[in-house]
Amino acid sequence: MTEAAIPAARRSVVRLPLLGVKLSEPWLYLAPALLIVVVWTWAPLVGAFGLSFQQWNMLPHSEPRWVGLDNYANLVTLPDMGRAVSNTLLYILGLFPLSVIAPLAIAILTQDLSGPLRNLYRTLVFLPMIVAPIVAAVLWRWLLNEDHGLVNAGLSALGFARIGFLSDPDVALWTLVWITGWKLIGFSTLLLSAANAAIPASYIEAARMDGASRWRIVRDIRLPLLSPTILLLSMMTVLFGAQWSFVYINALTGGGPLRSTTNVFFLMWEYGFKTMSAGWSAAAGVLTFVVFGLAALGCLRLMRKYAVHDS
Amino acid sequence: MTVERGSPAFRIAVHGAMILLSLLAIFPLWWMIATSLRPEGEVFSTALFPASPTLENYRAALEALPMPRILWNTFAMAALTAAAQAASGLLAAYALVFWRFRGARTAQVLIALSWLVPFQVVMIPNYVLATRLGMLDSLAGLVIPNAAAAFAVLLMINALRSFPKEIVEAARMDGAGSLRILVEVIVPNLRAPLASLGVLAFISAWNEYFWPLLLIRRMEASVVQIGLQFFMTQEGNDWGPLMAAATMASLPILALYLVLHRQVIDSFMRSGIR
Repeated sequence: MTEAAIPAARRSVVRLPLLGVKLSEPWLYLAPALLIVVVWTWAPLVGAFGLSFQQWNMLPHSEPRWVGLDNYANLVTLPDMGRAVSNTLLYILGLFPLSVIAPLAIAILTQDLSGPLRNLYRTLVFLPMIVAPIVAAVLWRWLLNEDHGLVNAGLSALGFARIGFLSDPDVALWTLVWITGWKLIGFSTLLLSAANAAIPASYIEAARMDGASRWRIVRDIRLPLLSPTILLLSMMTVLFGAQWSFVYINALTGGGPLRSTTNVFFLMWEYGFKTMSAGWSAAAGVLTFVVFGLAALGCLRLMRKYAVHDS
Repeated sequence: MTVERGSPAFRIAVHGAMILLSLLAIFPLWWMIATSLRPEGEVFSTALFPASPTLENYRAALEALPMPRILWNTFAMAALTAAAQAASGLLAAYALVFWRFRGARTAQVLIALSWLVPFQVVMIPNYVLATRLGMLDSLAGLVIPNAAAAFAVLLMINALRSFPKEIVEAARMDGAGSLRILVEVIVPNLRAPLASLGVLAFISAWNEYFWPLLLIRRMEASVVQIGLQFFMTQEGNDWGPLMAAATMASLPILALYLVLHRQVIDSFMRSGIR
């Protein structure tokens, strides 16, 4: 795959004078990045796996105790976990219209947009992406405030009942999904617009000459050619959607009301740092990693298949 | 009935959709700034512009939070993280693109897949390690665990793959060592991708929430996201000062965006979502 551009340097070796160790050059260049990911990602993953078979309250003077599969057995039977898992699915599914479907519709609708306004739209629409999540949490908390927020003021001016966006157990999760999606919708739209603009005009022209309707052009030409980007955004939504919501859960609802907004990532955080049951948190983490890891492999396989189709 | 592409009705629909999306994006931010400028008695007003703007809320927020200190901490953390990610990413990509060696594939997979490990899964071992190393409440603790990032390495690999091999070959013929080739030949020609990576990493680090949440105990060592969260927990319904604090937390990034919006958008689009 990669061609060796400096064949002569292939076996070059560097001697570290102080340590008396010999290291080949590429490993020396690789060392900083590799060291960081091994020490702060892979070793802790192994550590979490070990911890998932132990009981530990994380206090400095207490020793972890081996409990075998107890943590897993407990987790599976806890109603907390069932709720967290089903909510995690709701977060992911709820995010799809905002991160994929609406952006796709807007990108296809606005494909011929040009002129000076186009750049202005781009600049504005992208803005939420760079807003800090906690700032997004603060400003939506204000806009959606039950007593004084602008949205509820508008609702009651129009004669509707006020909505407890963060206090009503039937609504709170969708509020958090909305805030998560608000940050993404513009970015996804730009990504899909760029992919859409890259479709050769000649394809569309040829289809039009053959008398294809607009809908058929979208269905048979645009959607298949956009599928790699659609898949990328879908994969991001599936893999990271529930993680992105964590900030809003922690900052705005604490998993409530009535545990209606908790998800597996928030559950791990609660077990780990609120109730100090490190073993439970680690076991939930291992299960989550396995499930999302398998989902990721599935997504990557799908993407590879469609990437070939694209060329 | 079909609306012809290019007809006035169609163009109105297109612009209407974009205007709606733009308003959706900026209105919440405008409301934050507008509220932050309203005097206390006017906070619940629904007027689009504050009738008698005041900086009173900013004074209150600055009294409650050591804002200059916090902003400086955040800037130092974000700048160091961005520099470290760009440097470690460039070095790793250099090794992976220009050499063939045993273990290269494994190393690349270890780096690339690290992005799949959710932070919540490894947070307890990381927290324990950071505590043992005395990293709580420290700048080093905020930066070092994030000093390398999968997306940085992948971006640099892409940049180096398209780098003209003849130039490197010519430099090697002249007897230059690999480090000299990197510093004198490659880096000067890689300014654009390095800058774009730097901007991306800076913004991501500035907005980082989870790791500082674990690591920071004292307000003096805090970063702006945690300061804001603290302020919201304490004075959650003091909307004026809260919006002033949120505005101050966002201003540096918004200013950066005002100057570099085209580059920022391009670098986010090129790297996918971070």
